[in-house]
Amino acid sequence: MDIHKVAVIGAGVMGAGIAAHIANAGIPVLLLDITTPTLDKLLKADPAPLMHPKNARLITPGNIDDHLAALRDCDWIIEAIVENLAIKQELYRKLATVRRADAVVSSNTSSIPLHELIAGLPDDFAAHCMITHFFNPPRYMRLLEIVSRAQTDQDALAKISYFCDHKLGKGVVTANDTPGFIANRIGIFWIQTAIHEAIALGLTVEEADAVIGKPMGIPKTGVFGLSDLVGIDLMPHLMHSMKHSLPAGDALLEKANIPPVIQTMIDTGYTGRKGKGGFYRLNRDGGEKVKESINLQTGEYSVSQAAKLDSVKASRDGGLQALVSHPDKGGQYAWRVLSQTLRYAAALVPDIADDICAVDTAMKLGYNWRLGPFELIDQLGVAAFAQRLAAEGMEIPPLLEKAREQGFYRHEAGETFYLQPDGTYTPLQRPAGVLLLADLKRHTTPLLENDAASLWDIGDGVACLEFHSKMNSLDPQILELIEESIAFIPNNHQALVIYNEGSNFSAGANLGLLVFAAQLGGWDEVDNIVRAGQRIYQTLKYAPFPVVGAPSGMALGGGCEILLHCDAVQAHAETYIGLIETGVGLIPSWGGCKEMLHRWSSFRKRPGGFLPPVLKCFEIISVATVAKSAQEAKDYLFLRPTDGITMNRDRLLADAKAHALTMVANYQPPEPPVFHLPGATARVAMEMAVNDFVAQGKATPYDAVIANTLAAVLSGGDTDITDTLSETDLLALEHQHFMQIVRNPATLARVSHMLETGKPLRN
Amino acid sequence: MKSVVIAGYARTPFTTAHKGAFAKVRPDDLAAAAVVGLLARTGVDGNAIEDLILGCAFPEGEQGFNMARLVVLMAGLPQAVGGVTVNRFCGSSMQAIHQAAGAIQMNAGNAFICAGVESMTRIPMTGFNPSPNPKLYAELPAAYISMGQTAENIAKRYRISREEQEAFSVTSQQKAAAAQAAGKLAAEIIPVGNVTQDGCIRPDTTQEALAGLKLAFDTHGTVTAGTASPLTDGASATLICSEDFAQAHGLPILARIRSIAISGCAPEVMGLGPILSTQKALQRAGLSVADLDIIELNEAFASQSIACIRDLGLDTAKINLDGGAIALGHPLGATGARITGKAAALLKREGKQFALATQCIGGGQGIATILEAL
Repeated sequence: MDIHKVAVIGAGVMGAGIAAHIANAGIPVLLLDITTPTLDKLLKADPAPLMHPKNARLITPGNIDDHLAALRDCDWIIEAIVENLAIKQELYRKLATVRRADAVVSSNTSSIPLHELIAGLPDDFAAHCMITHFFNPPRYMRLLEIVSRAQTDQDALAKISYFCDHKLGKGVVTANDTPGFIANRIGIFWIQTAIHEAIALGLTVEEADAVIGKPMGIPKTGVFGLSDLVGIDLMPHLMHSMKHSLPAGDALLEKANIPPVIQTMIDTGYTGRKGKGGFYRLNRDGGEKVKESINLQTGEYSVSQAAKLDSVKASRDGGLQALVSHPDKGGQYAWRVLSQTLRYAAALVPDIADDICAVDTAMKLGYNWRLGPFELIDQLGVAAFAQRLAAEGMEIPPLLEKAREQGFYRHEAGETFYLQPDGTYTPLQRPAGVLLLADLKRHTTPLLENDAASLWDIGDGVACLEFHSKMNSLDPQILELIEESIAFIPNNHQALVIYNEGSNFSAGANLGLLVFAAQLGGWDEVDNIVRAGQRIYQTLKYAPFPVVGAPSGMALGGGCEILLHCDAVQAHAETYIGLIETGVGLIPSWGGCKEMLHRWSSFRKRPGGFLPPVLKCFEIISVATVAKSAQEAKDYLFLRPTDGITMNRDRLLADAKAHALTMVANYQPPEPPVFHLPGATARVAMEMAVNDFVAQGKATPYDAVIANTLAAVLSGGDTDITDTLSETDLLALEHQHFMQIVRNPATLARVSHMLETGKPLRN
Repeated sequence: MKSVVIAGYARTPFTTAHKGAFAKVRPDDLAAAAVVGLLARTGVDGNAIEDLILGCAFPEGEQGFNMARLVVLMAGLPQAVGGVTVNRFCGSSMQAIHQAAGAIQMNAGNAFICAGVESMTRIPMTGFNPSPNPKLYAELPAAYISMGQTAENIAKRYRISREEQEAFSVTSQQKAAAAQAAGKLAAEIIPVGNVTQDGCIRPDTTQEALAGLKLAFDTHGTVTAGTASPLTDGASATLICSEDFAQAHGLPILARIRSIAISGCAPEVMGLGPILSTQKALQRAGLSVADLDIIELNEAFASQSIACIRDLGLDTAKINLDGGAIALGHPLGATGARITGKAAALLKREGKQFALATQCIGGGQGIATILEAL
């Protein structure tokens, strides 16, 4: 049975965020609170909880007193009210009177055990009651912990798990009914340990974050930056609510005390980014923004200093092992934090979760660790890790002992096995519909390969082109491999998927090469790259087999253009597509202008006349628009209305492959479009608009130069509305104008600035 | 010469484009509502109408298809009545009145409905397919200059400070708000659906609030959204006929058209258009500025209004008694009939002798009408 309607009770940050994400899945949702909430905050929140503003229409606000009866229609009722058992139970008793017999009630509690929540409630209610623990913000954090009991209705559990996985795109992890479940139990221990040890060892917050961040595979916010982000008062608050339910002697209890410096910060409103400041703050007193950090010993702020630790340097080549064995304070700190945290995690299985995979997944998806605790121990070497623990007089948890010989995970004949608490190994099996290149790579070799890209066989006659250059930026090597793939595929394969497992599908063309060529005056080289990209994207478009792009994360510039040349796209919901060339003083020239013009000209819902498609493309490209979700990308026609969207990142490749296979039978490459463009009159119309923007201070004079260059291409150059232009004509225009503007020193200044700072220059 | 009179004036409420009550209302429906209202109020026999002349600044999309003829059919006028859509940008529906006056003089009809409409929500101010002539643009870019920039040019040329413009706007808002509160606008308004009053007026406008607005057109300029007329949806209609016709049909005469004029000026200061057109109309009427009792000067922008007042030497106490376009709104095609009809109605209401209605026109023109009480 499917879920057609959901209710969320409690319209705080979490409740409203969960409701928004259910709306993102296209499911109507009631959002109730004591008084009817407004959606204003939701619409203004940053990062946006909604993938598209129109999704707000699926959210119906109401209040518990007047709209309780509306819950009768709901298949799933999520409680996200205040963390108070008595108040929650009072609500459940109300829900019990209106809930449909098969409707599921779940709590988003982060600290109250399920058995306490359902105590005293009717059996049938209790059987349909579970904990669904979302992480903040619900749209973006992939972890969802589900807690149930043996008596829980198994159909209900399966229904919710399926919905959260497929429709909400969550990584669903089954947690046991223990305090803090999995991620927060370990996460809080880790944060508290990191804070206490930093103070004890006399590290600055910058140093601590430099050690915790990149070297440990953790976002660069490290632990202090993360605390600022989530609120410094959150950890003490969670600690407080978990304290009473933790077993006696639990190591976390020893970490529970709040250091005086932090208590003072909380008391005086320095609760992080939501407050006056946190471990870091931006001081605007002097008119300029100056980043400052707190001194953990004195509580005083001073200008932040980049950490200089040899241990961190050593980890760049020597990895985690080099980090923890380095004698400097960074190395000592890393070891103290990791040894305690990983040992704690090892001691908690099977108490908090039935297996180690659940724990690793929870930490990766809930705290954005690149590796879970058991994967980290494997990386350190289980035996070496255990030995050092023992040498320092720490007790070795039984599970760690069992892993000494063969590790927590082992790989054999293309399969991965993980250690069970009883010491046996079980093959790791992905759920149906989950296909990962990472798994495939462990036991196969690519069909084709160079330094920047590879072609893989993903079964059923489908090949997968993977970029793996830095930031997946597109360079001649990738273009070369695309060309080779197009020649290779028809022999043994029937379709191609373009996909990778990087954080971003592609950041666009490699600008470094451009600057390098420009500095040497190598304009022929630049010319060759433009022509090669145009030629190869055209070949891809007209290849004799279907091509499906499967992006996730950013797909910018040339990365967007390759998608525009695919027969279809299956996009992860969190895909950010855009033609951003103008930001670096350029214009799309690998067919981006051409494809956008074709899409907007043939879009049935556009206003009539010959100018609207041209103006629409101009509006989108001239301001370097990036869609903030796959849903929004459809508004700009970066995605076609028929392109697919996958909510769960892990299901993207399988969905894309299935999409490609549906196109195989009787596949015909697309008919080349022809263009009727208005020429100079449209160019002038756009130029006039740009001049007004310059006068209004919304554009710089050089923005105008770039925009007018773009206008020259989009208007069709020196054409007339009665003339017919081909794709070749438009590619020639893109090429001509790109080669002109790329030589402008102001463009090169923009490109260099982007490479140096990662930010656009508005010259 | 025949005596041509204004024997009726009505308009729909004017509402803010995009967020106002008429955002979802088609302009032909709005125009038809104004015409139906005018017919009902005047009681004129539809069979006696020669033609419906409808002003519209961007006659395309829903404003296309020779909308005037369609409005004839929508308003339930006899099929024998003609319909012509005329375009002189902001001067369109005053032009409609001028055409009717000319036709009556030529014995080419006795009674005309002269109306105007613009949905600035549904048809953008540049139209859907702005297609400037590249050669003209190269030679004379000002031919296509944005209206906001012309207001800035005038402010600079006449050294009109931002404060002075804002003070002008506050006065306009106060006059409109007072007129609305006193029910003075209700006399001319034809309710459409449940919309019974104007939606653009901002009674609580203060000079301080205006001073906080961002510059709208030029970062080095002085003009803001508060000193410009807002984008507006609305329609207006007048009944123009010979005096004989009015008397024969027992129609109440508001005013006689004494003289009319059109003039051109430099496009980059199009807001100065009323100066020459007013001078020409006064000369044709054999009157001077001092003879004028009532003045309806369209407030496209505060800066151009102030410049015209200065150069013509107008008495501000006689101008826009019930507020101007900065407060009431400026649905381009509908404004000319509104200010001409309003000037006529004010002559009657205030018991005065001579009135002027004048406005500037994008591209560099002015249009003026002198009315007199009978």
